[in-house]
Amino acid sequence: MKPQLHFGAFLYTPGTHSAGWRHPDAEPRTDMHFPYYVEMTRTAERGKLDTIFLQDTAAIGGSGGLDGGSPYRPSQGRQVHLEPVSLIAALAAVTSHIGLISTATTTYNEPYNIARRFATIDHISGGRAGWNLVTSQVEDEAGNFGLDRHVDHAKRYARAIEFYDVVAGLWDSWEADAFLRDKASGIWFDFDKMHFLHHRGEHFSVRGPLNVSRTPQGRPVVAQAGSSDIGRDLAARSADLVFTAQVTVAEGRSFSTDLRDRAERYGRGRDDIKILPGLMPIVGRTDAEARERFEQLQGLIDDSLAMRALARLTGELDITQFPIDGPLPPLPPSNAAKARQQLIVELARKENLTIRQVARYLGTAQGHRVLHGSAKTIADSMEEWLIAGACDGFNLLFPWFPGPLNDFVDLVVPELQRRGIFRTEYEGRTLRENLGVPVPVNRYVT
Amino acid sequence: MSKPPRQLKLGAFFSTPGNHLAGWRHPDAVPEVDMDFREYVRLAQTAERGCFDMIFFQDTVAVAGSRAMARGQRNLARLNRIVKLEPTALITALSTVTTHIGLVATATATFNEPYNIARRFLSMDHISGGRIGWNLVTSQIEDEGGNFGFDDHVDHALRYERAIEFYEVVAGLWDSWEDDAFLHDKATGIYYDTDKLHFLRHKGRFFDVRGPLNVSRSPQGRPVVAQAGSSETGRELAARTADVVFTAQTELADARDFYADVKGRTARYGRSPDAVKIMPGITPVIGRTQSEAREKYDFLQSMLPDDLALEALTRLSGGLDLRQFPLDGPLPDLPPTNSAKARQQLLIDLARRENLTLRQVARHASAANGHRVLVGTAEWIADEMQEWLVKDAADGFNIICNYYPGPFDDFTNLVVPELQRRGIFRTRYEGKTLRDSLGLEVPRNRYAR
Repeated sequence: MKPQLHFGAFLYTPGTHSAGWRHPDAEPRTDMHFPYYVEMTRTAERGKLDTIFLQDTAAIGGSGGLDGGSPYRPSQGRQVHLEPVSLIAALAAVTSHIGLISTATTTYNEPYNIARRFATIDHISGGRAGWNLVTSQVEDEAGNFGLDRHVDHAKRYARAIEFYDVVAGLWDSWEADAFLRDKASGIWFDFDKMHFLHHRGEHFSVRGPLNVSRTPQGRPVVAQAGSSDIGRDLAARSADLVFTAQVTVAEGRSFSTDLRDRAERYGRGRDDIKILPGLMPIVGRTDAEARERFEQLQGLIDDSLAMRALARLTGELDITQFPIDGPLPPLPPSNAAKARQQLIVELARKENLTIRQVARYLGTAQGHRVLHGSAKTIADSMEEWLIAGACDGFNLLFPWFPGPLNDFVDLVVPELQRRGIFRTEYEGRTLRENLGVPVPVNRYVT
Repeated sequence: MSKPPRQLKLGAFFSTPGNHLAGWRHPDAVPEVDMDFREYVRLAQTAERGCFDMIFFQDTVAVAGSRAMARGQRNLARLNRIVKLEPTALITALSTVTTHIGLVATATATFNEPYNIARRFLSMDHISGGRIGWNLVTSQIEDEGGNFGFDDHVDHALRYERAIEFYEVVAGLWDSWEDDAFLHDKATGIYYDTDKLHFLRHKGRFFDVRGPLNVSRSPQGRPVVAQAGSSETGRELAARTADVVFTAQTELADARDFYADVKGRTARYGRSPDAVKIMPGITPVIGRTQSEAREKYDFLQSMLPDDLALEALTRLSGGLDLRQFPLDGPLPDLPPTNSAKARQQLLIDLARRENLTLRQVARHASAANGHRVLVGTAEWIADEMQEWLVKDAADGFNIICNYYPGPFDDFTNLVVPELQRRGIFRTRYEGKTLRDSLGLEVPRNRYAR
């Protein structure tokens, strides 16, 4: 059988494109109105996509600056959204096959609480839950949790690694057949199939056991997105699914190879990790129509808003002090998204981009690749990446909702299915089955 | 024209797999109800057919008894509240398969951050169309601390102080956005009205929270807040902040005292006494005759081993090992407990009043878990409920069953119609939000002019 594509549908409402919400057909209320999420998730399920994916931030973007006196920029679309772990709990009850992956930060949560919630959703959904493990990248969040400044990169990762170890350990608290519920003897569970974690580390001290039984797919899928060296290592050790930002086939191949090499060093199979770079498809009936749609979107961008997004990646340097139509100056190290900063610096250099152009680029798909074209053009590119070993599929970004998601499912999916590189039916009822990643063995079972 | 009689409020407290320690062993019980979502769907839909105001879930952030189990107490494998579906995720999922019933879940102020709780419950309120409630508790079981880095439990007074400040932050964050803040003006590119966004800037002893919350204002103003503390601090906090007060009351006189006391404190905070709904728990054991009901109760008790009952009582014994005392002797003096102060006091009072032996106290505690057990016909149970309602001992009740789903189906099919027949319980929902059902006002945004 040909290699198969895997897809995530990134529901970053009201749209990943900074001005997408202003499109005449866009529904801005897709940020807070639950019925839209049901509709979009069911559309993705109709299109046999592997999973939906939800990002999270525990703050309003830019709130730190606003509190410090920066002027309001009310044209930014993503202000409010439904807390995503609650959202996937709800979506679990109204869907049957599609995966439900939500982000939850290791920086401002306790591992016991995270382990419980995702294991619970895995039960409610019949084995379709996934946790996107992140460290908080946005300065604004610190102010909602009692900190003056954001925790620095290295410390955040140290906490994240230990956090993961605790969560994974708690998910093994109960062997699959621990619960007897034997009315005759009055014995509820087999004591020997219950395991205490007894974790004592630098950041956490957790006895366990978890008060949720082993989940239908062994344990929830773990996704990650860090591309820094320490991020890749954590992913190689612990992730089933890796989201990444790669804009060329060569970069994709290089990243995939590196990650799979690292995974092998951790005793894992090369195919045990699925790698999905971000991609924003803008579909048209023809290439020309797709380009028009793209230009229409770019025309809506507010440059000052785009500059703010860029400012988040420039560390201590105030990018607004430089001429907007001049070149991108050298950037100091960022405490935020290291890899994302690297990506734009390289892109600016390669394509001789001005600050304005870099800002607009970010304002389109947050640094991810944009591809506009007919269904055939898009399918050609996806097939090229797949065959070249540059990825296992894509995390699909949409400029606004719900139209472009519908377009992808209605126009591109059938073309991929026709080529035999995408499923026509789900392989199974769990996310692990559909992704083709293994069910982990309980560490306590010899 | 005469006023319609006062209406009862009903909550369905799904204490799965059953409030009675041995209830799950009943031939008709479905023990898997602790982890099986479909069973909860069935129960929630039954409750909604019965026009209950709300369903309710308690919570513990640990396996109950895990501390003792870690020390090797293998006989605790007979305890049944071991695993569960985390209640906030559960009620969010249940909100998609119901349309009118309220959904209240417990979340502790001791092992959470207020920004996270504020986001979560407000989001749930949006998802459900305004039907959510948050039962604010401090963690009261010794097992939980060990999952959050505490070797010993946080002391009672400190827990309450943190909870009070926690509430302030959450309520403040829920007002971050005014009702009509979002303009979504595509032509001008203005997503929201900047004058309708508010920073909390809370700086307190336990929390430093800038805000704003990244969730818009609730369809019902803000989620309903419930509380269950019966101590002095608990009553004061409830009078100031709670919409619903859950309580454990076994005697009419005590219940009336509690009711009058809490309602009496509300004026101090500029609130009407009607703004707080007081709902004691009751566990119904229903029979077609009084003696059939008594037989059902005795049958449940017969499945409960004494030593297991004693284990359960140990949780309220302030650290005293009860196994060293004669089972048929009196209840020994109990040292103060750091966990459920009020629950312990109730038992001590009961033991003294009725001259109960240690065995009897233990067995009673396991059967009731502090709440009043009503053993009788549907008519008699309705009589009791009506009496408490008209005598100002309760605004309603939280129905807790010994096992599921049988007794809950019985209550909904037999007792609810009796209450409806008497005109003291609704036959259809008044509105679409939990505040509508409870008859509570929509709170104004503190920043709105």
